[in-house]
Parts: sequence; structure tokens; C-alpha cells
Amino acid sequence: MKPDEQREPVHLRGLSADDPHLQPASAHPERAEAVIAVTLFLGLLGVAGFGACYWVNAAPWTLGATLGGGLTFLGIGMAAWGKYLMPRGPFVEERHSLAATDEDRDALAGAIVQRGGTLLKRRKLIGGLLGGGLGVFSVVAIFPLLRSLGPLPKGTLFHTDWKKGSYVVDQTGRRVSVGDLAVGSVMTVYPEGAQDTDRGQAVDATVLVRLSNEDFTTQRGRETWAPMGYVAYSKICTHLGCPVGLYEQQLQLLVCPCHQSMFNVTNGAIPQFGPAPRPLPQLPMYIDASGFLRSQRGYDQPIGPGFWERS
Amino acid sequence: MTRPVLSRLGATAFVALLGAAPVLALATNAHAAGKPPYQTTRKNSGTPNSSQVVTNSQGQVISYGNRAITYANPSPALAQLGRALFLENCATCHGTEANGVPASGTAGAYPDLVGLGTATIDFWVESGRMPAANPRAVEAVRRVPRLTHDQALAIAAWINSLSPAYPAIPTVHLQGANVSDGATLFALNCAACHTIEGTGDALAFSTFSPSMRHVPATQVAEAIRTGPGNMPRFTGNLSDFQVRDIVKYVTTEIEHPRNPGGFGLGGLGPVAEGFVGLALGVGLLALVGFWVGERQ
Repeated sequence: MKPDEQREPVHLRGLSADDPHLQPASAHPERAEAVIAVTLFLGLLGVAGFGACYWVNAAPWTLGATLGGGLTFLGIGMAAWGKYLMPRGPFVEERHSLAATDEDRDALAGAIVQRGGTLLKRRKLIGGLLGGGLGVFSVVAIFPLLRSLGPLPKGTLFHTDWKKGSYVVDQTGRRVSVGDLAVGSVMTVYPEGAQDTDRGQAVDATVLVRLSNEDFTTQRGRETWAPMGYVAYSKICTHLGCPVGLYEQQLQLLVCPCHQSMFNVTNGAIPQFGPAPRPLPQLPMYIDASGFLRSQRGYDQPIGPGFWERS
Repeated sequence: MTRPVLSRLGATAFVALLGAAPVLALATNAHAAGKPPYQTTRKNSGTPNSSQVVTNSQGQVISYGNRAITYANPSPALAQLGRALFLENCATCHGTEANGVPASGTAGAYPDLVGLGTATIDFWVESGRMPAANPRAVEAVRRVPRLTHDQALAIAAWINSLSPAYPAIPTVHLQGANVSDGATLFALNCAACHTIEGTGDALAFSTFSPSMRHVPATQVAEAIRTGPGNMPRFTGNLSDFQVRDIVKYVTTEIEHPRNPGGFGLGGLGPVAEGFVGLALGVGLLALVGFWVGERQ
């Protein structure tokens, strides 16, 4: 038997029945057929078993095993059938020309221009109605874009739930007091009431770091923002909004796990490395008479990544 | 290990006699040494409050804590041995008075150890990070400890005798710990750096967070309370009971991952998993394709 490459490709039409091209690929077709029969039988058993297992609510792994095994054996049988029992070939069959004749094309163009024009002139009413309908639809199609994409964010992108005097709480709602963190400690905090809401997690999450035992100034103009060394920054990365949760206390860096933006906590979270375009906004804190940490006011700028309306 | 009721009663009575004076004296002492004091007001946070403290006749704190974690200082009698061991193993970098040496490398490379508390010293020595294999390395790596447990305690005892401070060495009582709460707290506080599988990961500027596997319970608690290296320390924001839950989670679920999918692949995440998916999955498909398409 000659390998494929050495046999001449022939036209299928007009081949005699005993042509070697029409012989099965296998040298022992009956043996191949027996093997394929066994494979297909196993496949049949598999899918039938799947039906049975499904019917009796058997364990999930039996469903997977019977369905997967059955389909695998059926597939192997099909592939082997094509590989060993189909005529050996190779055959060629030239494709006929797909283009229409020139006369046909001219006739079609003429028919569209002449008869179409005549028809439209004769049916002005429905032609106009159709055009009007499509025109109105093209305008109306814009409506879903305006309303069904959800409510407009309005001010929610600009403001968080941090207000003047908001209590600082941990994820369980416990108020944080001035003695809670040692220098070098970090925790994630929320404004009281927002700690167990989706919006609280997505927007209000704030990293509270204690840098010192004394008031800490991160930038000029922020002298009162970090009483007793309690510095608070938005936890939402200004790049793509990941939680900036990795605090390295010797390097004094907050690291974003997604794209390795690094913010220096001592100088107002100015990005030191990575794709973040802006510093993390700092939340001004104060300590009230009972020793609880509270926010002087909300963030002075939108938190998180940029958006169109952000100036 | 729960201390018998009688001894706890005795301790309470003893403390009632002595009052809180020694504790206050210690705090003042630490402050006088120019160290940031452990300012935590919350109970059960690694620092003692007066009702928990057991002191010896010289007013030195022996132990404090609760049924979640007991913090104990090594015996002050070990201090003399500790000084000898310190001079032999540590003084080259940290100085003969343990107050650090200005380093000609990274800032703070040879830090002042005075007033750090026994848990800090014990963690670094017993995890094998100190004495450092390479003192100029960006970050000390965990390895087989060079000093024994008793030697580590002795060094801690001597350094603590210079300026007593907290926290002392924790013993975590894992009975009754809540693994589920531990998992939540781990995800909230630890997973950012150590990854949710606890395998550790790269951080900024050649630093890294180490793997949490094969770390003894005491060292996990020490790390949480003292914040070694770049790790933040967790004091008032985690109670002893919460630390116990985390330690339980780390020493059981992180230590023995269940891998319900079959292969954990080291818990390294999408890179390792994607590689295996491509190599095995696509490779297998390619082989099947070759078999189907090949003709004789």
C-alpha cells in the first residue's frame, strides 16, 4: 500500500468499483470493524447508563462518568470509522464557478432599477409608511440607551457616605477609638452604618494606618488631618478600583494587588510606582472627646478611578 | 493548656495586693527608653490589663492573658545566659547593648532591639530568620533555626531585662477556636499579602510575604501581634480570641489544603493553573487531532 502522498489524486466520478482509491484505508477492514463495533457498543452502554443514572438520581460522579465515557467512546468510534473504513482516496473535485453570468447580472440590475422605481411610484402610500416606520424606529432605537442602562449615577460617583462627624467603624460595626491601633497597625474601616452594605464595601472602604503617636502631616494644608498618627486613605485604587489592601510598614507603602501601584502613605499617598494616575484621596480625621475616631468631613475629591465627568 | 482555677484565683488575689503599679512602671519605663509605647485600650489585645497579670516577687511580669492566648515571659534568670548568647550570635550587627548599629546598607538594617518585647525576639530567632544568613538581604528568610528554643528564650529574657515591653511570648489554646471565623478574619486581614491560599507572594521592591505553611501556632500569633519586618502589627483591631481563630485556620486549613478540585498546584493561582490547562488540555487535544487527521 502506498502512503497518501505517493498516490495520485483522482476524480471520484467514473472510478471503477475495484479501484484501489475506493478500498478501505485499513489493511484488515474486518478487524477494524470489530474494534469500532466494540468502541461504539461501549459508547452506547455509556450514554444508556447515563440515562439510567439520571433516572434514578444517582451520585453526580456517576452522571459525569457515564456521560463523559459514553460520548468519548462514541467519538473514538466515529473517528476510527472515518480513519480506517472509509475509502482511502485521495480524491479531487473541482469547484464550479460561483459567479453569475453577465447577462443574468445585467437583467437583475435592470429589473431592480426599472420595475422597482415603477412599483414605488405606483405605491406611494405604503412606500411612505414603510420609510416613515423605519425612520421613526431609527430614532426610537436610541431610547433604551438613554433609560434601560440603569439610573444615571448623578452625584454618587462624586460622594461617599463619609460625612461630617461620621464614626469610624470596623467591618463588624465596632467604633474605632484612639487606643485601638499601635504604631505600624492597619485596618479597613467604614463610616458607621455603611460597613455591611455593598456600597460601603465598594465606595466607602478606607484604610486606616497608624504612623505615629503624634499628629502626622502628610502634606501642607493637612496638618490636622491625622491626629495621633491616624492616617486614613480611600482603599479604592485610582487606577481601576481594586482594594489597595497591602500595607508594608517599613517601606511605608500601600500596594495595590492588581497592577502593583504603590502609594507612599507618609506624603499623601502619591503614587510611587505603577499605573495609578492620582494619589489616593485622604480622609481628614479627628478624635472626639470620648476618644472615638471620626471624619472631619467627606473626601475632598471623587474616590477611585477616573470617569468622564471628573474634572 | 488551661490554668487550674485555683492558680487563677491565686493570681488574681496576688495582683489585687500589688495593684497595677508594676504595669504602670513598665509602661513608663518603655516610654522613657524612647520607644513608641504600645498604646492599646482594648482588652485582649496582646497587652495586659491589670486583672490579667501574674508577677513575681520583684514585680516582673511572668504572664498574662486569657483562655484564648496566654502570654508569658521567659524566666529573668535566663538573662545572663541570654547575654552571652547575644554577644556570640547577634552583637556583630545589633551591637553589644542590643541598641542597633548604623547600617551602611538599607535604612534600619541593623535595628535597635531594646524595648521590643519577648515575642518579637522569639519570633525572629525561632523562625530561623536570625541570626541572618545574609545580613544585607532585603528580607530575612525563614530557615532551620540556628539556636534552640531555650537559647531563643534566654536571648529574649536578656533583651527584655534592658527595657521590659510587650507583647510577651504567646501560647495559643486552640480548643474551642472557630475555624470559620478564622477564615473570614484571614481573608480580611491576611490574604491581601499572603494570598487566600496562604502561599505568600511578591511585594514592593524585592520584598515578599512568606508562605504560611508549616508555621507553628506560636509564631503565627507572634507575627500577628508584633508585625515583623514589613508586616503591619495587629493589636487593638484583633482580640486574642480572633487571633486564636486565625491561628487555628492557618494551622489546619492553610497547612492542609483540601483541594476539592483534585490538584492544588501549589495554590499559586492563575499562572500555574493556566500553564497546566494549556499544556495538558490543549496538548491532549492536539494529540487527538493528529490521530484523527493522520492517514496511511
